[in-house]
Amino acid sequence: MPENLSRSVQTELPDTAMDRRSFLRTGLGGAMFLGTVSVTAGLSGCATAPAGRDYPMPGAMDQSYEFQFLTRDDIVLFQALLPAMVGPGLSEEPVVRRQQTQATIERIDAGIHQFGPANQKELRGLFDLLNFGLTRVTVARVWSSWENVSTETAHAFLERWRTSGIGLFNNGYIALTKVSNVAFYGHEDHWHLSGYPGPPTWAMDALPQFKDNA
Amino acid sequence: MSLTDRIARGLEAGWKVSDGATLTRNQTHEADVVIIGTGAGGGTTAEILAKAGLSVILVEEGRLYHQKDFKMNELDAYASLYQEGMSRVTKDGAIAILQGRCVGGSTTVNWTSSFRTPAPTLNHWASRFGLDDLSPEAMRPWFDGREERHNIEPWLTAPNVNNDILRQGCEALGWSWEVIPRNVKGCWNLGYCGVGCPTNAKQGALTTSIPGALDNNAHLFHGLRADKLVMNQDRIDHLQASAMAADGVTPSGITVNLKARHFVVAASAIGSPGLLLRSDIPDPHARLGKRTFLHPVNATIAEMPDTVDPYYGAPQSIYSDEFNFSQGVDGPAGFKLEVPPLHPAMSAGVVPGHGEQQVNDLSKLPRMNSVIALLRDGFHPDSPGGTVSLRDDGSPMLDYPVTDYLWQGLRDAFYKMAEIQFAAGARKVRLMHLDSPWYNTWADAKAGIDNLPMEPHRVRLFTAHQMGGCGMGRNPEESVVNGFGEHHQVPNLSVHDASVFPTSIGANPQLSVYALAARNSTRLASRLS
Repeated sequence: MPENLSRSVQTELPDTAMDRRSFLRTGLGGAMFLGTVSVTAGLSGCATAPAGRDYPMPGAMDQSYEFQFLTRDDIVLFQALLPAMVGPGLSEEPVVRRQQTQATIERIDAGIHQFGPANQKELRGLFDLLNFGLTRVTVARVWSSWENVSTETAHAFLERWRTSGIGLFNNGYIALTKVSNVAFYGHEDHWHLSGYPGPPTWAMDALPQFKDNA
Repeated sequence: MSLTDRIARGLEAGWKVSDGATLTRNQTHEADVVIIGTGAGGGTTAEILAKAGLSVILVEEGRLYHQKDFKMNELDAYASLYQEGMSRVTKDGAIAILQGRCVGGSTTVNWTSSFRTPAPTLNHWASRFGLDDLSPEAMRPWFDGREERHNIEPWLTAPNVNNDILRQGCEALGWSWEVIPRNVKGCWNLGYCGVGCPTNAKQGALTTSIPGALDNNAHLFHGLRADKLVMNQDRIDHLQASAMAADGVTPSGITVNLKARHFVVAASAIGSPGLLLRSDIPDPHARLGKRTFLHPVNATIAEMPDTVDPYYGAPQSIYSDEFNFSQGVDGPAGFKLEVPPLHPAMSAGVVPGHGEQQVNDLSKLPRMNSVIALLRDGFHPDSPGGTVSLRDDGSPMLDYPVTDYLWQGLRDAFYKMAEIQFAAGARKVRLMHLDSPWYNTWADAKAGIDNLPMEPHRVRLFTAHQMGGCGMGRNPEESVVNGFGEHHQVPNLSVHDASVFPTSIGANPQLSVYALAARNSTRLASRLS
């Protein structure tokens, strides 16, 4: 086990004596740790290339979107996390639910493409850590692979990272929830969940950029 | 109603505008002055120099977006108009950085609040940094001139409910509040300033100084990233730049060299020190990238008894300076109180949470109010700011450690914000903090704030105002440029943006940038003509 990894695993144990804030100051350790996982993950058979049009989603109706950043493994990860992430916001109706999940993951991918290289590298490290079996078990403490993870298990994982005393895990929680929440609640299809009526109709009617030929 | 799109009209009339994505061969261009950045500083500089008869090239890494693109859509706007697709953060990820990346820079996406630099700030600069020429009296004509240019006036329309809650809370508690001056002309009061003004009412660089410069023969390159200023002996010879593909993020492989007599860097408090560091510009006292300030922001949200519709109406119209300078300019951290607009994507990204709790919290949006505190950083020895450095790939990164001094200010701000919301009738208040529940009374909130850990990541922190990193001052040993933005070591280099501020401003900074850039560009024009 790489040195940084073993240290983080130790600090995830309860009642650690390590001072929370001194750990946070070792930002470099965190970055190196994630970098190490990315390399190891690639060597161990995790998907490392963007999924392109290679959809791991059973029954995907529309496969016109081309993934530019998320790998097949990342897509499986978000399929497992979204039910815990947006909870009752997803439809109970299986076909609608699948479409909502797929569209949200596509928007997450499109958003991350605009993040640029630096933050993409950070997210690559985070997703690899969650996808790579050894670190999924030891760091995220998720025992089965993501395709078999229940909503309750995914929720428990998110709760652990939210309430953890370790800044790196809090940061991971924020990164995962932010990209998911923005891609989900920010889209017109889900505005009703926040009660947002959308831009004022009278203004859209009056503005040239909303005309059909604009 | 202001429906004239100055950009569309100018493009039709044959303005010199080059889109980096359309360039197919490497090329070299030459002008009297090359300006890097098209925000508050670069736009102002370009218009003044071009009107003085100088030939000007403007360089913008982001793309040119205007009315036809501004469709009041958050997801599209955050991806295209903001740095790093709205994902920019400080080095440890603890502070989210909101910053424009498009023609007009942050003025294209800001919430239009336009304050003069507070007198205590200018007086502090005089005594601490030898900047006596920037006294409130000396700066007054420059503020007057820019207020006229950008149509800056206090907002006379009634505030929206979101802002009125701040007013009501302050009134009830006997705390001061004021109306915010805004840079708008014929504003429709829609509430979408942050995603590109859909009506051209906002008088930012995009609708004022950029068209003014292009009308006077300036040449704008957008989708062009400034990589490096290349020196020849003690002067800058040319700028080396990379064209970006139409997606705005992938370099196309085309290189553009821009030669000039003089170079003005106005690429923001993160971009400007980044460019100068990449270029190995002389920095004998290691000042580049130091003392970067953010007005660190924390926030509370409230569930109000009646409809707020915080997504509609002028996003910022009321502020309180009750706690800004009240304990002295260099005492405990002071803060300005304002409110943010709340649209669904922004709210979903700012309110931390997941699952059922998150669905419930966000469902309160129509009755939600939020108050934010902007900490005045950089005035006290225990607030030395952050440091910009370069990643392996040459991109700039900001390390901003939050000191105990600032944590104390953030805790104080939490108390005041929650107290204001309850005083204005809030049913419940929640802090933007990973551990905060909804508090039902001011007493509960107060007890909660007493005990919540003030730590990175747990406290959700933001910044919309980046300042410093190329600080100005009389003494070259502790500054990068002088009070005119002239580089201490390189004679044909000036810096005209918020990166020259030696502390934070203590107010939304756009008018401070406009005014100082106007003053320094007027002097530069007479030097070069």
